Order: sequence, then structure tokens, then C-alpha cells
Amino acid sequence: MPEPLKSKDKHGAPFTRPPEIEACLARLESVDAVARLQVFAITSRKSKGYVPSEALTHFLRRAWAVGAQSEFKQIFELLMKRVGQSLCSTISDSRMAGAQSIREEIIGRLAERIAKDCNGRFAMLDFFEVRFDLALARFRKTVLRQIGPTSVVTVPLSTDGDEGQDISLEVEAAAADFLGGAPEKIDDPAFRLELDAAIDALPDDQRRVVGLLRQGFQIDSKDPNIMTIAKMLKCDERTVRNRRDRACKTLRAALQEDA
Amino acid sequence: MSTPKPFAADEESVLMAFSMEPSHGRETLERYIREYPQHATALIDCSIDLLHEPPADDVSATVVSDSAVAKAWQRFERAAQQPNAEVANPFAKLNQTGFKSLARSLDVSNLFLMRVRDRAISAATIPARFVEKLASELGATAHAVGAYLQGPPGMVSGHAFRSSVKPSVGEQITFDQAVATSQLTPEQQATLKALSG
Repeated sequence: MPEPLKSKDKHGAPFTRPPEIEACLARLESVDAVARLQVFAITSRKSKGYVPSEALTHFLRRAWAVGAQSEFKQIFELLMKRVGQSLCSTISDSRMAGAQSIREEIIGRLAERIAKDCNGRFAMLDFFEVRFDLALARFRKTVLRQIGPTSVVTVPLSTDGDEGQDISLEVEAAAADFLGGAPEKIDDPAFRLELDAAIDALPDDQRRVVGLLRQGFQIDSKDPNIMTIAKMLKCDERTVRNRRDRACKTLRAALQEDA
Repeated sequence: MSTPKPFAADEESVLMAFSMEPSHGRETLERYIREYPQHATALIDCSIDLLHEPPADDVSATVVSDSAVAKAWQRFERAAQQPNAEVANPFAKLNQTGFKSLARSLDVSNLFLMRVRDRAISAATIPARFVEKLASELGATAHAVGAYLQGPPGMVSGHAFRSSVKPSVGEQITFDQAVATSQLTPEQQATLKALSG
């Protein structure tokens, strides 16, 4: 039986991993460390025998706890490689100036968090054992906001030579859908990535307003029972509208530059 | 809502619980904000970061260089060797009155205790018996207090004078120097010096 997670929910029960991760851990516990390291080295998600990173995180922590130093270092290196590869697609050289050093900084900071966890002070690593990709996405965004890309290089949205004017109208419409709480209307993953990056780069107050609008919250309401953006951000609804307008202007400008 | 919470409602625990939820959209966020309004901003930021689950597409073909991994390992090792980098300040919980009464129980002047607190005294020169006494008065372990005193000297806050130069952290003095220059009575000085013996 894999050891339960240390962090607990508000009822005092430990958080649980998804059943497929639990099953994977149980399977890997029955083989020795050498065999485990072999399967951990498989990096393609499509390959047979690929082990999810949640499991690598678990065995990394376990190796530390039992003092298996060599195993720990090897899993650490494999995990960092995976993290580096995953970051390559979200922080690609074509999209961001100095992408490589930004990626290295994120990996380095994650390494420090792991050290903190080894010293028993970073419970957040539990989340990496439950939903690795999501946890990493959050970690990446947090670090990016702290270090901030020096400049964002953007790539054309379309590679098949469409003319700018068409794209710009398309962008406007898409941005409107997006901010109007219908992100599913945007199915172009490249565009979503651009828009996400542009939103992420907004100042905190504007980013929060945009983020909440995307989740479908309303700015203001006469009904005191309805949770509104103004209420959540503890400010006047006019302030919220101002922030939204400023954010839209910035986003439009950022996305039109691409077109 | 009003049920007692065995749950530490500190920001990290609340964010952890939120992260572990199966979905992070409007409904979940609203529930958490109602329950933990003190962490509203952190929850909003967290929900925005978690909203769009990255597609589980295959990793890019890019190979991560060994040097990048080696650098990460170095950072890990450096960080792992500094478990006490964030030693808690045992004086932090004291208010002005508490601080003065601590000085009284230790039978030292306020100035002397301030120098101890601000780590203006080189830790190596402070007698272990003084650290033990201080720790027991503070309700902390000698180990924790010792670790705190080992830290770099702090910027002294609360100066009441204007200065034409930028305030900076001064050089540490020895325990004996501090005893001699902290407005202590000859009896107090003798008692403190005896601790070094």
C-alpha cells in the first residue's frame, strides 16, 4: 500500500491520489529500484510502460525518506528532465526572449522546493503527487510572474500566410468570446496559448478581473446573495469595469501585434 | 460554516485544499471564498492559474541538456544544506511590554537585550548559559534560540533619528563589548561575565 499523503483536508483526512496513480504506485512498489528507474526513464507519454510524473514524485520523496541517496539523485534527474521538456512547450524559444534561462530558473526553483520538502517544510509537493501537470503549471506561472520575462516575443498566429486584417478581426471576436466567458469557442491551441500568455502578463488587478470574468462571475449585482467580482475584490464595481477596460485594451494591442 | 475546523486555516493549507478539489471553477472558488474570505486574493490567483488544465499532449522532442539538470541538482544541494535558512525569530511575539519584562527577568538593560535581539553581538561569543537562560524565558529551545542568534545582524528598526546617510547593518560586537557598553550596572556586568566562565 502506498503511503498516504501527509497533508490533510479540513476534516483531518489525508488527501487522496487518483485511483490510477494509486494503482501505478502499488505496481511499482512490487518491483525493485533498478526496474523502477528503467521505466521512469521513458519520456514519451505515448510509450508503453510510461510512468506518470506523479509516481516519480512519490518515489523521489520516498527515496529521500529511506536515505536511498543514489536512487534519489537518479529520480531527481529524470524528473527535472521531464519538467524541462514540459517547459519547452509552454516557454518556447520562439515565444519568449531568454526562454532557456527562464526555463532553467523555473527548474532551479523547483529543485529548491524539493529541498524544502526534504527538510519537511513544503507540503505543496503533495499536489505534484496528485496532479503533476496542473501543479507544475501553477508553479510555472507563479515563478514567471515573479521573475517576469524581459520581453515576450510573439509568433504569427497563422502560418498559412493569411493577411493581417482578417486575423485582427478574428482576434477581436475571439477575445470578446474569451472574455465573455466562452473560452470553449476558441479551439486554436496556439491562439489560446498566446492569449493566456498575454493575460498572464497583465498587472495583478487586471488579471484577476479577466480571470474571474472568464470563470463566469458577474461584475456587480443587486442581489446581495450573489458573489460578484466587485465583492470578491472588495472594490467598487466601477473600478472593476475600469480594470476590465484597461485589460481589454492591452490584450487587443498585444494580440494585434501578432497579426 | 460554523462547524469547528480542526483544519489550520492558514493560506497554504487552504490553497492546498482548494488545489486538491476536482474542479477549480466558479462554484468551487465561490465556496472557498465564502468560507475563507481572508484568503480571497490568494484563492482567486490560484483558481486562475489552475483553471485551464494543460492538455496532456506528448512532451516536446527537445532534449534537456545535462548541464541544466546538473545546475538544478546544485541548487537542490545548496538549498538542502540550509535547513535553518528561515529560522524563526523567537523575539517576534514579544510586544514592547513583553520585551521590557524579559529584560527585567534576565536582569539586563533594554539596550543589551536589543543588541541580542538584533544580532548585533557575534553569536560565537555569547556564553551558552546565557542562551539557555534566554531560551527558557522565551519559552523556546536553546537550539532554536542559538540558531536564530547565528543569523546575520539585522537592520535595527525603530531608530528615532534622522540620518544623512543610508542606514546600514553595523558590524557585530563581542559579548564582552556589549556587556561593557550597554548601560549595565557593575553588578549586572559581573553576573553576565560570570556566565562565560
